[in-house]
Amino acid sequence: MRQVRPVFGIAMIKFIKSILLCTLSCLTLLSCIEDQDFNQYDEIGVTPTLEASILYVEAPEALVNATSGANVFSRNFNFDAFSSDVFAKRVLDGTITYIVENTSSKALEVTIELLDVDNNVLDVEIIPVDPSPMAMLQRDVAYGSSGRSIDIIKNTSSIRVTANNLGDNTSTSNEPDPKIILKSSGKFRVNVK
Amino acid sequence: MRFPNKLFLVLFWTCFAMFGQNKQVLYDFVEIPQSAMINPGVDTDFQWYAGVPLLSGISLQAGSSGLSVNDIFADDGRRINDKIRERAIFGMNARDELSGTFQIELLNFGFRGKNPDNFYTAGMYIEGDAIGYWFQDYAILAFEGNADRLNQPFDLSHLKTRGEMMNVFHIGLNKKVDNQLTIGVRGKLYSSIFDFNSTKNKGTFITKEGVNNIYSSTIEADMQLRTSGLNGLKDAIDDGTVGSTITKRAFFGGNLGVGVDLGFTYQLNDQTVLTGSLLDLGFIYHSKDIKNYTLNGKATIEGIEIILPDAAADPNADFWQDLVDDVEGFVPFEENADSYIAFRPTKLYGSLRYNFGEHVDNRANCACGVNASSNRARAKYVNSVGGQLYVINRPRGPQMALTGFYQRRFGNFMSIKTTYTIDKFSYSNVGLGLSLQAGPVNIYAMADNLLSYGNLADSNYASFQLGLNIISWGKK
Repeated sequence: MRQVRPVFGIAMIKFIKSILLCTLSCLTLLSCIEDQDFNQYDEIGVTPTLEASILYVEAPEALVNATSGANVFSRNFNFDAFSSDVFAKRVLDGTITYIVENTSSKALEVTIELLDVDNNVLDVEIIPVDPSPMAMLQRDVAYGSSGRSIDIIKNTSSIRVTANNLGDNTSTSNEPDPKIILKSSGKFRVNVK
Repeated sequence: MRFPNKLFLVLFWTCFAMFGQNKQVLYDFVEIPQSAMINPGVDTDFQWYAGVPLLSGISLQAGSSGLSVNDIFADDGRRINDKIRERAIFGMNARDELSGTFQIELLNFGFRGKNPDNFYTAGMYIEGDAIGYWFQDYAILAFEGNADRLNQPFDLSHLKTRGEMMNVFHIGLNKKVDNQLTIGVRGKLYSSIFDFNSTKNKGTFITKEGVNNIYSSTIEADMQLRTSGLNGLKDAIDDGTVGSTITKRAFFGGNLGVGVDLGFTYQLNDQTVLTGSLLDLGFIYHSKDIKNYTLNGKATIEGIEIILPDAAADPNADFWQDLVDDVEGFVPFEENADSYIAFRPTKLYGSLRYNFGEHVDNRANCACGVNASSNRARAKYVNSVGGQLYVINRPRGPQMALTGFYQRRFGNFMSIKTTYTIDKFSYSNVGLGLSLQAGPVNIYAMADNLLSYGNLADSNYASFQLGLNIISWGKK
């Protein structure tokens, strides 16, 4: 009896193997598959373009008038979004848009500087602003393939905004709630894959 | 392409190719003992049967309602990014899915009791089940971004997925109530290996014209991902103890649940049969190795906002960090280990079968024939034709499939069943099943969506089942 069981077991295993072999062979013979090129996987490019606001600065005319000297305002703002690994290692190109609105009676010069972690100036944008009434002023600064070096963006750790008064500090605008406003946004293409 | 990428690609499609649910060919295929697994009230005439361990029931199924491998990887000279954009990103919608299941029977046997009207079944099988709906808005955001999509909300509810793997122990009773009615019930004990689900997400991400700055970005989220068993498996992979961890959990060492299958067969008249079954009416209570993640809240940002002169009051203020802290405060990403209940995807089958043609001798150990007093003794007909209904409960609501079938018996030696099924995956799903009886040995094999075998890569759905049993009718 002990000898019969192993023989039966071996025969059973062979039988099962034969069935599986036949089934798989039939499926293989009956099925077809058209040419597939899986090397195309390497060509998949996931490069979304992301857009968001960056910095908004608002200064009332009263602040300009209250400031003695030309320099109304100058300050560094920490901005780690650009230099964070998740962005800096993936950004390909893009644009920073600045919009200046001035309803004050002053002519001003707004300077935006992009600084690295050691406060070295990487890029400067100077925007002269006429007194009110003025048209909204928009400036688009491109970085990457068709603009300034994208490394400027990758290394930007803070933004310095400076406003200099080019006029007097006594006049007042006829506009309601006169002020000078700097708006900015970024639109960047990043390489996810 | 580097090897890991190829491997990932193969595994990705294979994983989804391993999943699906409907077993329309096997359903009510009374010559095969495993038909009792999808209708515990099946009309069976066996004295006993025993499935060959690990080989009695293997089923793999896959379904993709919106995309095939061929759609993306066909060697057709077109740029793959264009195909992805056209056929996946904008060609599919949030109701499209990749889904499926696999089952491997470890043990399955059945025997007739002292009361010949009672037939008992028992066994265990491993089952994996998963579904992932097409996360359309996430895909658009990932491939295209939010630029130039002002006022377009990205729907966070498009993330809807669940999956699980478990060992199932079952014991069932199939009882012939009278000459017309057979009913069945099966109790199940689920021993979970892992589970994940993220099915009740809500919220949007939208970019609009800003109130102060150029743009405002708003996220409003009520999202949750619940997992059980995944962290332990990750640790087991690191420790090289995956096998023992899975084995332990499969045999009551993890999270447990209970369920029930119900079914019936009703003989409307001598040739017409009505059947129905309700499977996996149950749940698993997850309390061990839980890790849940939530993202809840609403925040709108317009970049760093400096309103002078107030903002200049604190020369050391870090407006960027304040902004980050505000967002994290308003929309916190949190973890917890709260227990949860996961309901099984309940399935409903129904069929109406009309038998005709010559009679086939009944193999049951009884005085059998056309006029037999018991339906176990009732003679089979050579031909059967009918229709079947299948419904499964899914995260986006029930999914349905309709099947027409024809079955032909060649004595007691062979039986063939062919099916035509319409569901969300395919309108041309033709299936074929074969059961061979060589003495006590029963072999069966079945596959569906056979028309797609002309180009498997272009198939939206595929499945096969096969198995090996030893059957006795108890005749001397």
